[in-house]
Amino acid sequence: MRTSVKILTVLVVGSALGLGATYVTAVHASLPGGVCDGVWHTNLSIGSSSGSPYTRARVALHGLLALNRSETMYYTATTDAAGDPLDGACTYKLKGRILDARWWSITAYGADDYLIPGTDGHYSFSLNDVRNNAGTNYTVKISAKESGRYWIAVKPGRFSLTLRLYNPDAPVVADPAHADLPSLTKESCA
Amino acid sequence: MNRVLSISLWVGATLLLAAAVHAATLYALPNIVMRTAIARIGAPNTIHHVKRADATSRGVVRPSPDLLYSICPFDLSDGPLRVSAPVPADTYWSVSAFDGQTNNFFVKNDKQISGKTDFILAGPGTDMKTLPANVVHVQSPTMSGLVLFRTLIFSERDFARIDTQRRQATCAPMRARPPEPNNGG
Repeated sequence: MRTSVKILTVLVVGSALGLGATYVTAVHASLPGGVCDGVWHTNLSIGSSSGSPYTRARVALHGLLALNRSETMYYTATTDAAGDPLDGACTYKLKGRILDARWWSITAYGADDYLIPGTDGHYSFSLNDVRNNAGTNYTVKISAKESGRYWIAVKPGRFSLTLRLYNPDAPVVADPAHADLPSLTKESCA
Repeated sequence: MNRVLSISLWVGATLLLAAAVHAATLYALPNIVMRTAIARIGAPNTIHHVKRADATSRGVVRPSPDLLYSICPFDLSDGPLRVSAPVPADTYWSVSAFDGQTNNFFVKNDKQISGKTDFILAGPGTDMKTLPANVVHVQSPTMSGLVLFRTLIFSERDFARIDTQRRQATCAPMRARPPEPNNGG
């Protein structure tokens, strides 16, 4: 093989491998596990300028403009309790109690990290929804079909949930793996 | 033997290049993400009151539909900005600032300040002693970035009031007092 061809091959293959590695480790990758509480994952370096270049690149891409832990804690769920990826063709039950924070919400996002079209504003479930009701427990349905009062709407296809705690209580900040977050189980699939 | 050595060299060069491209793109990513976000928001050094997030929102990934965002993309190369806003008394509210690498370098919430926030945002290298002493100073590690106000919609009934109040936030270049008009004397 001629040297020029070899150099060209090195340039093309080397660049492709490098870009591919960045894509796989940062662009396509979800936020690194860090800490889990049931199905909920969070990364303690979110919102700070510390962390590995991989974490920083992933936070920039998938959690841009996130705040530090005492301000807001962000948990993400991409699977149900059985470990299966969340799919809007299925119906899920989100069961929990009022969370230990000044304010909190749980929001569904499509595979593109944006709010899901065609869900008629039923993007999230929050303290606002339970505050005026007796009791501290709730059960929320997550499905493409309208289902009752406590309902987060999704569409068939992959989705994920973000749980936000605004000004979380000190014990949660100190021990994010035991925040007593809601459980998420699959009920049925269309 | 020569052939093995030659192949190893070419493969080694390929892997080296791959590692260099990987590292360069990885380190550049936050900067690219920030530039893209700023460009999407609009003109720098003025405040943009983003409409409530819905399925058509594409400014920033994973927007919260329960918060109202007001954003001031900044470019401090022509001097500091003055940022001020009323602080609501009855809902979660925060002001935060992010540098050109997406790092959060400043944040305050409604429990930490009451009534009103008012500060001067200056770029790296600014002699902070030259700024007015009666206002809080915040120094950004980079010339560009953004200031973000979050206001929680704690009840749908109060949406109009919350929205009106957050629109009172301002963000503008600090300018020397304009010269007195010259009336021919």
